Amino acid sequence: MSLAQYGFQKLVLLNSAGYSRAELPLDDSVSIIAPNNTGKTSLINALQFLLILDKRHMDFGAHSVENSKRFYFPDNSAYILLEVLLPSGMAVIGCVGKGLSHDYEYFAYQGSLDLDDYRLDDGKLVAQPKLIARLFECGKPAKIYPQADLRALLYGNRQKQRADDPDLTIFPLEFTSQAATYQRILTRTLRLDRLDSKEVKNYLLEIFKHDLQDRNVDFKSEWDKSFADVNYDKSQYDAVFRNQALISAMEDSQQTRQALRGKIILWRPLIEQALNDWEDYNNSTTEQLRLRLRTSDEEAEALENRQKTIYEDRAEAKTVLKGYEKIESHYQELIIQFQFVSGIAQLQNQRQLLQKQRDELMRSIGNAEQQQSLGAINRNIAKITKEKVDLQRQLQSINNNLYLQLQKLLPTDSFEFLTRLLAKSVLSLPIDQAHAIELNDQTALRSFAALLESRLSANRLELPGLLLDLSALEPNLIIKTAQELEIEISDCERQLLELNALLNSVETLSQQKQNQQKLEQQIAELTNDEKNYEELLSLKVSALERSPAIEALKQKLTLLERETSKLAEQKKAILLAQEKHKADQKELLSQHQRINTARQQRLDQQPPFTILEQLPNFACMDATELAMPTLADRIETYNRDCYKLKQIDEQLNQQLAGLHRDGVNKFQAQDTAEQELDALFNYTAQLSQEQEAIERKARSAVVQVAAILRDLRDSLETFKRRMREFNNKINRRQLSDLKVFKIEPREEDTLVRAIQTLISTSEQVESGNSFDLFDQNTVLDDKELNKAKDILIKEGEARGGLRVEHLFRLVFIIAKENQTPAEFEDIDSAASNGTVLMAKLITGLAMLNQMQDSRKAIKTACYLDEAASLDQRNQRNLIEIAEEFGFTLIFASPEPQITARYCVPIGTTKGKNHISRLNWQILESLADVDN
Amino acid sequence: MILDFTALTQLQPLFKLLSSGAHLNRLKDTELWLELENFQSHYESLFAALGFILVVDGRGFAYFKTELASSYTGKLTRRLALLIMLLFEYQADQGLHLFQFQQWRLDTSLLDHLWQQYFALFEAEEINSQKALKDILDSAARVGFLVSDDDVYYLLPAVHRYLDLFEELAQAERSEHIKEDLKEDIL
Repeated sequence: MSLAQYGFQKLVLLNSAGYSRAELPLDDSVSIIAPNNTGKTSLINALQFLLILDKRHMDFGAHSVENSKRFYFPDNSAYILLEVLLPSGMAVIGCVGKGLSHDYEYFAYQGSLDLDDYRLDDGKLVAQPKLIARLFECGKPAKIYPQADLRALLYGNRQKQRADDPDLTIFPLEFTSQAATYQRILTRTLRLDRLDSKEVKNYLLEIFKHDLQDRNVDFKSEWDKSFADVNYDKSQYDAVFRNQALISAMEDSQQTRQALRGKIILWRPLIEQALNDWEDYNNSTTEQLRLRLRTSDEEAEALENRQKTIYEDRAEAKTVLKGYEKIESHYQELIIQFQFVSGIAQLQNQRQLLQKQRDELMRSIGNAEQQQSLGAINRNIAKITKEKVDLQRQLQSINNNLYLQLQKLLPTDSFEFLTRLLAKSVLSLPIDQAHAIELNDQTALRSFAALLESRLSANRLELPGLLLDLSALEPNLIIKTAQELEIEISDCERQLLELNALLNSVETLSQQKQNQQKLEQQIAELTNDEKNYEELLSLKVSALERSPAIEALKQKLTLLERETSKLAEQKKAILLAQEKHKADQKELLSQHQRINTARQQRLDQQPPFTILEQLPNFACMDATELAMPTLADRIETYNRDCYKLKQIDEQLNQQLAGLHRDGVNKFQAQDTAEQELDALFNYTAQLSQEQEAIERKARSAVVQVAAILRDLRDSLETFKRRMREFNNKINRRQLSDLKVFKIEPREEDTLVRAIQTLISTSEQVESGNSFDLFDQNTVLDDKELNKAKDILIKEGEARGGLRVEHLFRLVFIIAKENQTPAEFEDIDSAASNGTVLMAKLITGLAMLNQMQDSRKAIKTACYLDEAASLDQRNQRNLIEIAEEFGFTLIFASPEPQITARYCVPIGTTKGKNHISRLNWQILESLADVDN
Repeated sequence: MILDFTALTQLQPLFKLLSSGAHLNRLKDTELWLELENFQSHYESLFAALGFILVVDGRGFAYFKTELASSYTGKLTRRLALLIMLLFEYQADQGLHLFQFQQWRLDTSLLDHLWQQYFALFEAEEINSQKALKDILDSAARVGFLVSDDDVYYLLPAVHRYLDLFEELAQAERSEHIKEDLKEDIL
């Protein structure tokens, strides 16, 4: 073994840790031999003061650092010294106690370690205050270093060194920043405490830190940052999509509104002008209509007058015509009447003849008229006839009548009175069975008469209740004799004869008089005929004039009829005209009223109508002529339009507010509601493009997020690679009876898969492997993706960020021969004691080696207690492995381990341990000796 | 060891979950898991003092190890063991890697296939319908072996317990064979 190899040479303890002096070779493997509890471990632990330096990292097992200080530095002449061969030459690093405080200080110098330098001539050790001077005397300019400075020196931290400091780098680390880790591992390796996979993981993470992109990924914030826009856009898109129907209705409304605005803008000035002109128009038209109406009234009146005249004319003509016609018919009659009359003379002759007959008759009548009148004669005849009948009756009842009976029975006075009493006719009534007066009991009548006698006295008849004075009455009947009666009857007969003759003559007279009258009549007729005939003659003369007159009249009548019918038509026309004018008047009035009402109802004097031109509108292309008669309609339409516009305004505002409430606020930043609407409509129209845009954004967000995750994954891959290298390193030689000894990372499957999902999605997106192919599976709706995201967010939130170490855990994989490998998290439980010791040591050494700069190999030392638990093969293996990693191995055991180069027993004198180089036993293999 | 109870902020929910016989799963109960990760030894000793053996498996689950089992949980465990064993067998037949069981989707069609293939075995365990299968899965979900999402079940890391057991059994069976072979050789 060449001495030229850089590294520890020896460790020396002077007056420290119960050693009066200890010299321990460190340039090759050592076996410290001592019974238990004789300070083997304290010897090794002394190295901590020199190599770990930082008290916080030191570990003395059951002893506290304070106690350890007391133990190692009992006074100011206690030394721990280490000789190291460095590329710059031999160097000594030392630690000296400062006295009662049990504090200590560091010093170092270049040169070899000579114990005489620390011993005074009297054999005593140099005290700390005099040390530097003493070393200087010995030609070794030592320097006191504060702990931190020495640490910088030993771990090669150039930045903290002064330029004039010697290069004392013992631990040439690849990254000096790993010094603390190195120290920790070194401590552990020196002590070989319980080692579990978690600690190994932490150390390895430290060791490989520089290979890993060690970012703490706040996945949620990264995701939210990347997706903030996307999510906002998506929410807008969803809200708009939900309300698509409403928005399209609103768009229609907006179209209508703009069209209405254009229309109103167009009509407004026209309506304004027309309203100004309306009064004039109304007045003038009213006047015109009134005039027209009057004119037609007048015309109607004239017509009426003319009609009347015509009626009169016609009546007159008709009358005249009738007269003529009457004359004419009379004339015709006369012609017929006098058809057979040759002349007037014939008629005159006839008349004269008749006059003669009449005159004669008149004479005879005159004679007859001297006689009694016919009536008187007839009366006389009737009177006499009656008288004759009377007489004849008297004659018939001359022997048996009441008178006679009464005369016979009654006293004379009474009879007389009675005759006076009884009417002649009564008294003259016959009495017999068959007649009215029946005398059936003469005795009774006599007694009655006697009674009556008593009543009748002095011309008085007293009947019960009746007093009749008879003196005033005269006796009524004197019964004539038969002769007398016959005579009188014959007188009557004679008189009757005379009177009949007279009656006859008187009767003839009336007949004659009738004849006379007849004659008179005939004469009068003839006179009349004469007159008629004369008339006929005159009519004959006038007939020639008459017929043209009749014609003329008829013509006139026809003309009049015609005019009448013409007039009727004219009248009708005028009537129509009048009605029309009236209707016009009415219409005008109603228009006027409507216009006034509409004028009151105009809305266009207030906003938004006053600023309508500034609002978006469609120019209206309607024909713009506004005739006055249509004004009413127009202004009403105009008002309706205004009203409608206002309604649409309100409706749109409400709908827009509704949309805002529903979350559509993307366009609220626009200056005006109109612009907002336009933007909204554009957006809605391009909804499918928007969806694509959101999808694109989402994809790029995924890509962005995935880039960060990719770092994590790459780190994980790197770590795994490093772990493979590491496993190679520790597996160069077989460890004990272990067939397999590996430390392997086990991925946290779900997390890694979630990361992988996101990354592969982003790769798919990036590689243009479009999602359109399976459209339903867009980035935003990708279930897998969302699940992966949720997992990562949850994990990240719980751990305060995602780091590579969250993605895996480490397991020891151990298998002996004939065994299937098993995974262990804690190596202590995995195998036998010795095997576990080896595994720990190798793991620790490999980790330390990993940190060292391989170009500047400086051999240091490591320590294995209870070395006897390993067999020699394993010991040799271990020594070689340690060698490879740059360590000399120090075995400690009660028995000497012959695999080591040096066997160093610990001796004891006067209660103090000591190791002298004189006790060193150097073992060499026979092969080496042969060489 | 002196325990600082104020540091063990999740003690109550942890104990509640674990003492109910359920499994804590790394992904399902991230916060509790993290707490266990940070204070594992504290919890272990605390629960041990209370008479519970806390087992934290690095594969992502933790539970109280108990020898006691009620007749119900025994029945459930048995049925679930059967179901999971058959599931693993079935999936292995499909050429799937068993250790990736967390990625399997246990959907209706998969359960249908399982049922069709093994209904005789299921019926022997008085699992008489697909509905009963689902009931078992739901019960298992309550104790942290599965998680149900949209009517699809996913196995959780705690299923490793069953898988370990199956492996152990298989191993034992193998070594029996070897022993028998050896015996034969000797004879």
